[in-house]
Amino acid sequence: MTEEKSQHKVVIVPCSGIGKTYGTVSREAAYALTEDVRPEETQLVALSLLVLGDEAARAAVSANPAVTIDGCKLACATKMVKESGGKVAQDFAVLDVYRRYKQFKPQGISELNDGGLQLAQALAQEIAVVVDTIGTATPEGGQNG
Amino acid sequence: MTEYLETFVDKFTFKVATDRFYNAEGIWAKKEGQHVRIGLSDFLQQRSGDVAFAEVKPEGTALAFGDEVAVIETIKVNISLSSPVSGKILEVNPDMETAPEVINQDPFEKGWVAVIEASDWEADQTRLLDAPAYLAKMKKAAEEEVNRG
Repeated sequence: MTEEKSQHKVVIVPCSGIGKTYGTVSREAAYALTEDVRPEETQLVALSLLVLGDEAARAAVSANPAVTIDGCKLACATKMVKESGGKVAQDFAVLDVYRRYKQFKPQGISELNDGGLQLAQALAQEIAVVVDTIGTATPEGGQNG
Repeated sequence: MTEYLETFVDKFTFKVATDRFYNAEGIWAKKEGQHVRIGLSDFLQQRSGDVAFAEVKPEGTALAFGDEVAVIETIKVNISLSSPVSGKILEVNPDMETAPEVINQDPFEKGWVAVIEASDWEADQTRLLDAPAYLAKMKKAAEEEVNRG
């Protein structure tokens, strides 16, 4: 991760919950967004790196607007970005998104079912709209998506 | 103001409201005049996880004791709620449709599920647990779950 890159991309921080369906959805959405939907405008930062205090990860969230994706109400991704000196431009909770897409019932953990994959895609599309809106502007306080 | 019994199991705290009765599943029933308000206990909502959707039988539905009154979908499970009282559904909490997370946020008050016009409360009540009895039952169940890991 270069400094130049981190200055021009919205940081995406998903839940790191292992063994939880909604955590897996958050990560699948982050992959879809950063690899396929908005690869030029976003960069993925692993929550575990922030927890470990990785300097490059902390620099990325400090210098860029962040979008967090939380798998449960503990909201670890959102909390960790804030504790790392970053500002959350928008926070998403998978459960809230699922309530908008009841037809995409997520199941599975290491491998999501079709509903889970579709929910991840829907979530990625919702985040893409936010990414297009915030661009590289200075982040403001987040709202739950 | 509602008073609660409280117990601690591992890192979890569970409350049991003392002004109502409970069935074995953890559905509470609170007598209010001629009617009975029902909802999920704190233990049941914590064990079930964050509620995504709640589908309650419509107003006017006749229920026998133990009939399914609602289905709750959480991030972990789908659970069928058995009515702790016989009678007819008078009112469904509108939050069940728009903000079912209120079950997790305030299970004994704002998270109520429905109000039932009870047809035989005196008989139904004898089949329910009072707060201390339910507390003992739920504590045992919680300890078993913790021990299972």
